[in-house]
Amino acid sequence: MTETADIAIVGAGAAGLAFAFAVAEPGLKVVVLEAGGFVDQRQAPSLSADWELALQGAFNANPNIRKAPADYPVDDSQSAIRPAIFSAVGGSTIRWGAHFPRMRPSDFRRRSLDNVAADWPLSYGDLEPWYDLNDRMMGVSGLAGDPANPPRTERPCPPLPMCPATERLAAGFDRLGWHWWPSDAAILSRARDDRAGCNNCGPCGVGCPRHARASADIAYLDAARAKGVQLRANAVVTGLSFSSGGHAVTGLRYVDRHGSQQLSCGAVVLAGNALGNARLLGGALDHPRFGRGLMLHPTAIVTGIFDDALQSWRGPFAASIVSQEFCETDPARGFTGGFQLQALRGQGPLTTALGGYGLRLPWGEAHAAAFEDRFGRTLSLTVTCDDLPEEANRIALHDTDRDRHGLHVPRMIYRTGENSQRMLDFGIDRAREALHAAGARRIDVNPLTRNAGFHLMGTARMSADATQGVTDPYGRVYGIDCLSIVDASVFVTAAAVNPTPTLQAIALRAGDAMRKGRAQDKIPA
Amino acid sequence: MSNPLTLLLDTLLPGDAARWPAAGAQGLAPRMQDQARDLPGGNAALRAVLDHLPDDFAARDQMAREAVLRGIETALPHAFDTVVTAAYNAYYTDPAIRDVVAARTGFANHPPQPQGFELPPFDAARLAQVRARPPLWRPER
Repeated sequence: MTETADIAIVGAGAAGLAFAFAVAEPGLKVVVLEAGGFVDQRQAPSLSADWELALQGAFNANPNIRKAPADYPVDDSQSAIRPAIFSAVGGSTIRWGAHFPRMRPSDFRRRSLDNVAADWPLSYGDLEPWYDLNDRMMGVSGLAGDPANPPRTERPCPPLPMCPATERLAAGFDRLGWHWWPSDAAILSRARDDRAGCNNCGPCGVGCPRHARASADIAYLDAARAKGVQLRANAVVTGLSFSSGGHAVTGLRYVDRHGSQQLSCGAVVLAGNALGNARLLGGALDHPRFGRGLMLHPTAIVTGIFDDALQSWRGPFAASIVSQEFCETDPARGFTGGFQLQALRGQGPLTTALGGYGLRLPWGEAHAAAFEDRFGRTLSLTVTCDDLPEEANRIALHDTDRDRHGLHVPRMIYRTGENSQRMLDFGIDRAREALHAAGARRIDVNPLTRNAGFHLMGTARMSADATQGVTDPYGRVYGIDCLSIVDASVFVTAAAVNPTPTLQAIALRAGDAMRKGRAQDKIPA
Repeated sequence: MSNPLTLLLDTLLPGDAARWPAAGAQGLAPRMQDQARDLPGGNAALRAVLDHLPDDFAARDQMAREAVLRGIETALPHAFDTVVTAAYNAYYTDPAIRDVVAARTGFANHPPQPQGFELPPFDAARLAQVRARPPLWRPER
């Protein structure tokens, strides 16, 4: 007999668990299906001396290298940037640095302001209460009053500490008269409930045994379960079921340790990223924009090497300070949109030897001196670019290759556009300038980080117009009833900042609307 | 006489006489083999590189051995890269080498957790200059 549910959510990552929390209410059967299993962060590799090896294996960001049981292959042979995603309860927030910036009002109005891309069918103001709720749920450290962003509520926790390296950088920014600010971070700077405060250990990307660094499972799962949400881990969704005529989704099929299962449901919500959505919807959704307009965040990393022993391995590696001096469009720069400069701290000994954010240190007689020259003496800046949606950049399906469940292998097809390349070039020069002002003796440049396919945006963009977007402002897919998408696929523009706070705010808003709509038998317009 | 793997390691990571031990002399050959096994294609890569070593590799000095390895690096770039990764993995996760790292750099030779590191709290006074600036963000029209 086929099981039934009111709502099935595919993916227990940042968006899926936020949506589950928002949509749940007594009497509603909400089931979340996650291909990956649980990761016990209390036993994270950072408790072991050889923790850096985990970054090459179980915590490698690239599914084609990691090849965990829940991973599916991705054909990235036509992409300048490789995929960086994680399958687990908590999704890619298991593997992230928890840097947590919001988009800005102009990011939602690029057509009106800059005559590029499209305007979102919602505004910063529409998302603001959901950003605020999400900040409280995730546990955000930071500081209100940033002149580069609209006024916002007091952050739930005070900012994370500076370290000698970021102090240097801040002084450099001040010398140049540029903006800088402690970044919002989904990392507790002080204890809350059963989560300890951050103790600055550094490698957030292998999980946090203190639960100071948020991940979606830590932040949302218990709260969602308390509202009745059911989670099924290690459950790989292998297909959707449609009504005759294909105009409505009626359920889904999945595989777990017991075998093949079916779930009949009133609504299916996809929250498994652009690649996962393509696997499930390719062939079923023929909207001309579906899969197209893939936006990433093309990222250069510029590393300053300092004379002093800064011990720059101390502190969360990706959450410290940012400069948003160049986030807004200035036509005089020769490109539209902007970029963020985000400080990255130094890395562990092995990762430093293997090149950190740049080239591997030389082997042979020069090695020991090169290691001493760099280890603990580096600070890097990302140049995180606001990508434009270009139709040629897309997620497609491989014609013949299929994964072990019989699903087509997704293909990432991406080249860095002209506008983004000009922005990268300009941004690299600005990052050099900042690091020199901070006192760096030497600068190394990685002009395009290949392993930076962590933000997959725009392949199911939302619009108020069914011809221009794949979903409506609440993520409901045009032309297929009872199907929604709530991950970063629905983004209309990429902005110059990490997408997680925004995609979670969108998911919370959509989940709340679906819950209220079910209660009132309609969703707010 | 050293075996080829030990010689390979000593050539890749010769250390320096005063401070850093050579990887092979440190006895890291078995550990490196383990590391190679854990890398995709690692065993085959290590075999390929070892197979390319000339018979008189041991008789050559460091500079001549490096020259040999540069030739192999050019001929077998992917395999060689994997072998270097395995060598670095073995070296920098060895407790004795981590002691040297600590002595030379001030790095605390313990896992990141549970101790972590102490840093002073954020000082908001550092932001005085930035706070004085007008808004840098564009409102929606």
